[in-house]
Amino acid sequence: MATEVLMPRQGQSVESCIILEWRVKEGDKVNEGDAICEVETDKATFEVEATATGTILGIFYPDGEDVEVLKVIAAIGEEGENIDDLRPADNDSSAEQEDTSATDVVETAQADTSITAPTIQAKTDGIGASPRAKTLANAKGISLNAISGTGPEGRVIERDVQNALVSGAPLTPAAQALMANGNLNAPAVGSGLAGRVLASDLSTASPSDAQISVPTLADIDVPVKGVRKLIAERMKASLSQTAQLTLNASADARQILAYRKECKNSAEALALSGITINDIVMYATVQTLKRYPELNAHFLGDTIRQFGAINLGFAVDTPKGLLVPNIKNAQAMSLKELSMAAKSLATSAIDGSIEPDALSGGTFTITNLGSMGIESFTPVLNAPEVAILGVCTITPRPVMNGSDVEFVPHMGLSLTFDHAAADGAPAGRFLKDVVDSLAHFNLTLAG
Amino acid sequence: MPKSQNVCPKEAFKPSKIKFKDIPVNQYKSDIKAEIKAHGKDGLKKMLYDMMIIREFETMLNSIKVQGSYQGMEYNHPGPAHLSIGQEAAAVGQAAALGVEDFIFGSHRSHGEILAKTFSAINQLNDDELNNIMTSFMDGNILNVVKDGDSKDVKDLAENFILYGTLAEIFARQNGINKGLGGSMHAFFIPFGSMPNNALVGGSADISVGSALYKRINKKPGIVIGNIGDASMGCGPVWEGLMFAAMDQYRTLWNNDLGGSPPVMINVFNNHYGMGGQTQGETMGYDMLARIGAGVNPEQMHAERVNGYNPLAVADATNRKKEILLSGKGPVFMDTVTYRISGHSPSDASSYRTKEEIEAWEKADCIASYKKYLIDNDIITDAEIEDMQTKVIGKITTAMKLAIDEDISKYSDPKLIADLMFSNQKVEKFDNREPEVLLPMEENPRVKQLKRKERFGFDAKGKAISKNKVYQYRDAIFEAMMHRFYTDPTMIAYGEENRDWGGAFACYRGLTESIPYHRLFNSPISEGAIVGTAVGYALSGGRAVVELMYCDFMGRAGDEIFNQMSKWQSMSAGILKMPLTLRVSVGNKYGAQHSQDWSAMVAHIPGLKVYYPATPYDAKGMLNAALAGTDPVVFFESQKTYDFSEQFEKGGVPEGYYEIEEGQPIVRKEGSDITILTLGPVLYSGMQAAEELAQKGLSAEVIDLRFVNPLNYDIIVESVKKTGKVILVSDACERGSALHNIANNITTLAFDYLDAPPVVIGAKNEISPAAEMEKDYFPQVSWIIDAIHERILPIEGHQVSHNYTRGELSRLYRAGI
Repeated sequence: MATEVLMPRQGQSVESCIILEWRVKEGDKVNEGDAICEVETDKATFEVEATATGTILGIFYPDGEDVEVLKVIAAIGEEGENIDDLRPADNDSSAEQEDTSATDVVETAQADTSITAPTIQAKTDGIGASPRAKTLANAKGISLNAISGTGPEGRVIERDVQNALVSGAPLTPAAQALMANGNLNAPAVGSGLAGRVLASDLSTASPSDAQISVPTLADIDVPVKGVRKLIAERMKASLSQTAQLTLNASADARQILAYRKECKNSAEALALSGITINDIVMYATVQTLKRYPELNAHFLGDTIRQFGAINLGFAVDTPKGLLVPNIKNAQAMSLKELSMAAKSLATSAIDGSIEPDALSGGTFTITNLGSMGIESFTPVLNAPEVAILGVCTITPRPVMNGSDVEFVPHMGLSLTFDHAAADGAPAGRFLKDVVDSLAHFNLTLAG
Repeated sequence: MPKSQNVCPKEAFKPSKIKFKDIPVNQYKSDIKAEIKAHGKDGLKKMLYDMMIIREFETMLNSIKVQGSYQGMEYNHPGPAHLSIGQEAAAVGQAAALGVEDFIFGSHRSHGEILAKTFSAINQLNDDELNNIMTSFMDGNILNVVKDGDSKDVKDLAENFILYGTLAEIFARQNGINKGLGGSMHAFFIPFGSMPNNALVGGSADISVGSALYKRINKKPGIVIGNIGDASMGCGPVWEGLMFAAMDQYRTLWNNDLGGSPPVMINVFNNHYGMGGQTQGETMGYDMLARIGAGVNPEQMHAERVNGYNPLAVADATNRKKEILLSGKGPVFMDTVTYRISGHSPSDASSYRTKEEIEAWEKADCIASYKKYLIDNDIITDAEIEDMQTKVIGKITTAMKLAIDEDISKYSDPKLIADLMFSNQKVEKFDNREPEVLLPMEENPRVKQLKRKERFGFDAKGKAISKNKVYQYRDAIFEAMMHRFYTDPTMIAYGEENRDWGGAFACYRGLTESIPYHRLFNSPISEGAIVGTAVGYALSGGRAVVELMYCDFMGRAGDEIFNQMSKWQSMSAGILKMPLTLRVSVGNKYGAQHSQDWSAMVAHIPGLKVYYPATPYDAKGMLNAALAGTDPVVFFESQKTYDFSEQFEKGGVPEGYYEIEEGQPIVRKEGSDITILTLGPVLYSGMQAAEELAQKGLSAEVIDLRFVNPLNYDIIVESVKKTGKVILVSDACERGSALHNIANNITTLAFDYLDAPPVVIGAKNEISPAAEMEKDYFPQVSWIIDAIHERILPIEGHQVSHNYTRGELSRLYRAGI
C-alpha cells in the first residue's frame, strides 16, 4: 500500500498552499524526511517532506497549483503499485493518463539503451539568441549578455528573456531606455547595486550609427501571483469592506531620541543596544492600548471581539512582499523583551522560515515608514483588526516657547481605524495618549 | 476484366497462327486525271504554293541563324529553329486532305505543319469566317499589324496574318500567335486546326490520342493526327499512346452510338534521323517503320508507308485513312517517308551523314520534283512559278520586317506569364448537353447506402462510431465525383481498375452502376498515357479525372505531369485550359516502391496546383473545388485515411455541395506555445503530439496545410508570430520535402518572431521498409516531441527516442541519408 503525502496544514488559519516547486519527479527514489517540494502560504514558504521511503509513484498537482491543505499531493510506494485510491477526486488526471505515463516509462527505458537523454542546461557559451528573444530583449531593454540560455545547446530563447524580466532586470530603467533606443552594448555586470547595469555602464556599439532621440521607457508586465496576489486581495477587501479613516498627529520625539541614544550606548551586558525607535513606539502603543480595548479588537460583522491579550502585529518588508508577524501577549513584555521578540520575528519573516502561527492572530498592527522619510500616510487596515498605527519620520517642527519659536523634533503618527467598530472620539483620545506616552516616555517606562 | 466477357482456357490454349496482312509500302501510283479530279488544277497549284511558302519561311530562319540576315535585314534570333527543309511535301500533302475541324498535333520541328494546316484551312474558310477569327483572336492585335498591307483579298490577308503571327511567336513577340510564350517548338493556332506542338520527342502521341478521345466522347467532328518523328518510336509514352488508342473496349464495351475507336492517326514523319541517330539501321530494328502497326492490333493499325516526297501520295493516303477513322475503325499508323535536308538545328554539322547522301536527296527534292510534275502535266507554267516565287519572297520578307520591328512587334512581357500560370476559373460544365448517366443519382446503390451512414465520426457521447456505420474519406471522394459526373457531361474518369473494381481503394465503388463506359473506364497500365491522354482531352475542351494507383507511379508519368499537364496553359498564353484532376493515392505498408509521398516533386513544378486533404470533409470540399476549376490539380489522398471518419467538423460531412477555399490552411487546434504544421495524414499524429505536449505544459497550435500550391501564408505566419516556434511534419522523406520550402518562407516572413529555426521532419531519407518496420520510418508522435525538445524548446524531463541533434543531422547528410 502506497503512502500518501498530504499538503500540510501550516497553521490554524491556512486553508490552502501554493506548490512552488517540486524537487522530485515521478519515478524518483526518496527517503522518509527528504524534502520533496516547496509550498507557499499567503504568509510563508515551507518544505514538504517525504512521508515514507520509496519511489514517487504519483505527483497529483503541478507547480503553481493552489492546493487545499490536507489534500493528497503525492504518493510514495513500491514501483508498480496502484495509486488510484490515493488520487484526489478533484485531480484532473484520469486512469487513461496513468496508462500513458506507464507507456512513457517503457518507451523511455528502451530509449535509454541507445540514446543518452539530454538535459536542459543553461550554458553561457551557447549558440546565441533566437531572433524572437532578441526582439523581446530589445523591446524590454534587457542585455542578452547577462542571460543564460535554456534553448537547444544553450541558445537564449524567449522564455529566458521572460524569466530575466520577472526575476528583475539587470538594467536600471534609465539604462533600459537607452538600450531600447539601440546602438548600445551592455556589460554582463554593471557597476550598480548587485551588478545592475547603469546608464553610465553602456557603451556605444557603433558611434556613427548612434542617433539622438528621446528614450522610450519600456513597459514590464509582472504577473500578479503568490504573496502579491494575496496582498492585493486583502488590501482591496480591507478597503471595500471597512469604514476606515485616518487621523494624523505628531509626538515630541526628544525623549525617545534621547532614550534610544542611551540604550545604544549602554553596556553590552545589558543587551539594550538593539532597541530601536520602532521598538519604543511599539512599547508605548501597547501600554496605551491596554486602556483602549475597543481598538484592540476584531470587527466580525455581528460582533466586535475585544481581546484580552495584545498580539501586536508589525509590518515587515520581505523579498516576497509584505508580511505581518505578530508578537503574542505583548502586554506582558518589557521593552527589552518586546524588542527581542520583534527582531526574531522580522528575521524569520525575511528569510522565509517564520512559523505560520506567528503570522496569524494579530489584534493590532503597527506599520513604520519613517525610515523612508514619510511624514504622513493612510495605513490600510489589516482587517478584521479595527486599527492600525502608522509610524512616520521624525522632522523638526516649530514649537512656541513663550514668545520664541523653537524647532523640536517630532514623530508623525497616522492612525487608521474602522469607524464601523469605533468612533472618532475614542480613536482620537487613543492617538493623543500615544502621543503623550512618547513625549513623556520616561513616565511611560514607569508603567 | 468486365464480367460481360469471359476469359476461356479453351480459347487461350487453342493452337493456331497469327496471320499478318501485307503492309503497303509506297504503293501510290501517280494519275494526273484522278489528281485533278481530287484537288482541281488550282488545288494542285495551291499545294506547290504552300510548299514554297514553307521552304522560304524556313530558308529565312536558316539564313538568320547562319548569316544573321535575310534579304538585307539583319537580325539575331537566339532561340531554337528546328527546320524541316525537305519535308514540305509531307506536311502539305497531309493538310490538303484535312478539313478545318481536323486537328494536327506536332513536334519541335513543326513550322511546316503549322503553315501547311493553317494555309489549308484558310483555303477552306469563307471570308466572313476568316474575318471573324482574325478580328477576335487576341483582340485583333495580329490583324492590326498586317491589315494595312497590300493584301489583295481576305485569304491573302489571312495568310499574312499567320505568317506574321507565327514568326512573331518564334521571335518571342507579344503579337505571336501564343503571345511569344510558346516559341518555335510549341506554337499552334487552334481556329485553323493546328494544335499544340511539343518539344518533347513523341510528346504529341498520347496527347493526340486524348484529343481524339475528346472528339469521340463529345461527338465532335473531325479526326486527330499526332505527327511525331521516327526517333520517337523509342519512347515509352508513344507506345503507351498506341496501346491506349487501340483498346478493344471502344468497340466491344462502349455504346455503339459513339462511333467506335477514337479517330486518331499516329503519323510518323520519318526523316530517318533522331538528331544524328539513324533510326533505321542504327538505333532501332524495325527495318521499315510501318511494320510497327502489325504489332498493335489485328487491323495492324491500317499501317502503311507512303512517299512523303510526293504531296499527292500523302494526300491520297491521309484521305483514305481519314475515312477509316471516321468510321470508328482506328487507330491508324502512318510511316510517311521523308528527309530533312537541313540539319537538326543550325548547329548541326551533319557529321553523321555524307555529303553524297544529302546531295542525292537534294536531287530528289520534293519541291523541284513536284514543280516538274505540274509543268510536265501542263498544270502550271515556269512563269507562273516565277511569279509565285516572287510573291512568296515578298510575303516572307514583309512578315519578317514586321516581326523584327520593335515598335510594331514588342517583345513579350515576362510579367504576363505570372497571370497565365493558372486560369483560376470556375466552370460548372464544359458543354450544355445532358450528362449521360445510367441511373438517376438517388437510385445509385452507394448513394442509397450513404444515406444510412453517420456523417460525423462520434456520437453524442463522444464515442467513435464503428467503421461500418460511419461515412468515410473514400465516400467523400465518391460524392464529389458523382456530383460532377451528373453536372458536367464532358467529365470522364479513368485509370487502372477504375470501373468494375471500383478503384483499388473503393473510392469509385458504385460509379459503375451510374456512369456509362465511355465516361468511366479502365485504362491500360500506362501511367504516361493515362496522364498524357487526359492532357489531350482537357486541352481539347473537356474535363478529365485520372488516377495513379500509387504515388510511386508518378515517375512513370513524369513528362506528362511535369512538362505537359503543368505547362500548356501558360505556354499557350491562356488560350488553352487544363481542367484536369490527377488523383494520386499515397501508399504505405507495401515497401519501397509503394509507400512514398512525392508531393515535393509536383510542388517544384510551376503550373501545378497541389491539394492534399486529410479529412473526409476536406476530401469532398477540395475535390469539389478541383472538379469545378479549370486548372491542373494533383490531388493527393493517403491510403492511411481512406477509412477515416470526419473528426473535426462537428456537423459532419454535408450531404450537399460545397467547396473548400483554395490555398487556405486550417487551424485544427488553437494553442499558444508552438505551431505544428502538418500535410496529409500526419495531421492525426500532430493532434496527438499536441495532446502529449499539453501534459508537459505546452500549448500547441495544429495547422493542417491542406494545400501545397497555391498556399496562403497568412494563417501560418499569424500563428508563428504568436508562438515563435514551428515544426512542420509530413510523411515525405525529409530531404527535399516540400515543407522545407514552406519552412524557409516562414523564416523569411516571420524571422524576428522566431524563437528557433522552423524544423522540418519527415520520413527517413531511406527506402520505405516493410509494413512491420514502418514505425521506424514514418514520423511518429514521439518524433515530433523529440524534434521540438532537441531543436526548438528543451522540455524539462523529456526523454527522446529519436535522435534529432544537430550532430546527427550533419552526420546523416554527410553520409547521404
